[in-house]
Amino acid sequence: MNERVVVAMSGGVDSSVAAALLRESGYDVIGLAMRLVASDVHSNGAASHKRCCSYEDFEDARRVAELMDFPFYVIDMRAEFDANVVTPFVRSYLAGRTPNPCVACNQFIKFDELLSRARALEANYVATGHYARIVRDHAGRYHLMCARDAQKDQSYFLFMLKQEQLCRILFPLGEWTKDEVRRKARALGLVNADKPESQQICFVVGTTYDEFVARRAAPHEIKPGRIVDSSGTVLGTHSGIHRFTVGQRRGLGVAAGEPVYVREIRPESGDVVVARREQLADRGFTACNVSLTGAFDPWPSPRTFKVKIRYRHPALSATVELLGRERAIVRFFEACTAVTPGQACVFYQNDEVVGGGIIETPLRE
Amino acid sequence: MEIYLDYNAGAPLRPEVREALMNFLSGEGANPSSVHRSGQRARRILEQARGQVGALIEAAAKNVVFTSGGTEANNLAIFGALRAQAGRRKVISSLIEHSSIINPLKAAEREGFNVKWLAPDHDGRIDIEQAIAALDENTALVTMALANSETGVIQDLAPLAAAAREVGALMHIDAAQALGRMRLSVKRLECDLMTLSGHKIGALAGIGALYVRDERRLCPLMFGGPQERGIRPGTQNLPGALSMGVAAEVLAKNLTNEINYVTFLAERLRSRLWNSVPGIKLNGPLFGRIPNTLNCVFPGVRGETMLLALDLEGVRVSMGSACAAGSIEPSHVLLAMGRSESEALSSLRLSLGPQLTVEQVDQAARIIVHVWRRLACVDTSHSGAWQ
Repeated sequence: MNERVVVAMSGGVDSSVAAALLRESGYDVIGLAMRLVASDVHSNGAASHKRCCSYEDFEDARRVAELMDFPFYVIDMRAEFDANVVTPFVRSYLAGRTPNPCVACNQFIKFDELLSRARALEANYVATGHYARIVRDHAGRYHLMCARDAQKDQSYFLFMLKQEQLCRILFPLGEWTKDEVRRKARALGLVNADKPESQQICFVVGTTYDEFVARRAAPHEIKPGRIVDSSGTVLGTHSGIHRFTVGQRRGLGVAAGEPVYVREIRPESGDVVVARREQLADRGFTACNVSLTGAFDPWPSPRTFKVKIRYRHPALSATVELLGRERAIVRFFEACTAVTPGQACVFYQNDEVVGGGIIETPLRE
Repeated sequence: MEIYLDYNAGAPLRPEVREALMNFLSGEGANPSSVHRSGQRARRILEQARGQVGALIEAAAKNVVFTSGGTEANNLAIFGALRAQAGRRKVISSLIEHSSIINPLKAAEREGFNVKWLAPDHDGRIDIEQAIAALDENTALVTMALANSETGVIQDLAPLAAAAREVGALMHIDAAQALGRMRLSVKRLECDLMTLSGHKIGALAGIGALYVRDERRLCPLMFGGPQERGIRPGTQNLPGALSMGVAAEVLAKNLTNEINYVTFLAERLRSRLWNSVPGIKLNGPLFGRIPNTLNCVFPGVRGETMLLALDLEGVRVSMGSACAAGSIEPSHVLLAMGRSESEALSSLRLSLGPQLTVEQVDQAARIIVHVWRRLACVDTSHSGAWQ
């Protein structure tokens, strides 16, 4: 019997082509779409405007499954998604950090919960439409690599994958460019071949992050405070630290004569510290929730990698010192601006992801 | 091999119905309201079907109003009765009704009506004494399902109908799930309105009927031509009505045999499952159910996963109710019966019908037991296995 693979389908073109490619190469494909958020229904019974996990998206996935002739189901992951992604997202903003919910979703939803559901359906693999590659070496270790399409590479969001997961995951688009994927979708006649990219965080639709956070928080959890400069001079006040991100310039509401940026958010006092651009430089940072893919053994003393501290940032040379208990210290060769607590940091060796973690505290001295 | 155990969602077309439809579709098309002879022939088909459907519930043909299905019949019964019962503002119903009862009643609540939502006991039975006690001069309507679509539990509605009549309230019975699964008589139940659905008895989807005892006590919801005595205007769905008539005719001739056969199949399936799945529980009592429905808690598994795994093995079952996108919500019926959310999410509904064979039922039992064993084993090591 052919090997069975569960494909996580969003209704977008990437996961659809991923499923189609696997089907064409002979896998026993099962499409699963995950219902992640409750859809809004107005009290008068009329459905509200389109948002993620919408009927239309699932219908697109369903039509792809019909065309390619494989079973397709929608499964309910709302409780898991809320507990592991949305709630931590809100908590993180309220604590003055800038979370990356896609990382949490990959870690807890796609490559943990979905993997276990796939196993229950006797699937050998879970596949997604991520742009990344997994390569198995002669010794049987699995390496997580950047995608061939550098523009689309999503390996940053996948740093938490370990050997036990990598051996069960397929990324059929790793060798494809986005243009090729769209061409393939058109050639197959997929309904969503020209569907636009989703750019935003999927569960924050039709509103801003700070409004979303404020709506989910209890009133006493909102932390208003002062806007101060690095010498302690008060420049103004603000209505909540969750509205700020380190490195942010717009919307500060202070007139300082020259452009200023958020340098630090102090959740205890509620102070938002601003500074001129040249004062934003950090020497490095500590990271928590550090995870290694296991393709290499942990290194005993600081070792040099290219480190990415944001998805759309170039990787910078830095040493990574593993501290145990899933912590590390990262020190840049040259100072780096706007290290943002809550974002993922990912360690690259050439085009391989070695591991990564969550930025905790910038090193300032 | 495919084994269909989801008759409560929709039964496969009966062979007699298919044959009648084939003949009909290769014949002439005409509007039963037309005066010419083609129209007259169409009207003959329609009226014959009306008589056949009526006969199955011991109703006269003139009291049968064809609708587009059970949902429309329920909406017509509820809003039609409320509008006709001017001045009365109260409705008595329950928490375990089908969404096509619950949601019209919620809409009525928004219009200012007062709905008494009765809760079932642990076995899914409504306390009829409590329902009777809730009746008063302000009660416009009592609306309840005779057999619950998810558990198959039968409510004892005859005394409630009699008591409703005494206070001048209308009694509506949703018999969509009961039809063809038990003997039905509007004379014995003494109800004013009864909902019937075509596709639950092996006719087409898109056809249903409302029994209306006294059309003066029901306002139409739609306005148009004189069809269905003006209670439900619009050109009738002739193939639908034909299919429902033929299905009703077959059932009327064969009801006792069919019920006995399905009871035998369901008991065979139940005994096999009970012998091989330790801890399995029936949602609802052993007796006092329509015989074809087995709603079971499968211990230690996620029902959603088991439903998918069974589907991949060719066994079609269901669970709770599907949202628009196709994901599954925990059953409001099971929650109202006091099942925990996790029990509700471990429950599957197996519903059987006359087109199943003994071999299929035995094969289904083997597959269900096999899949349950596999999943119960996977789930106990859940989330540790690959970490």
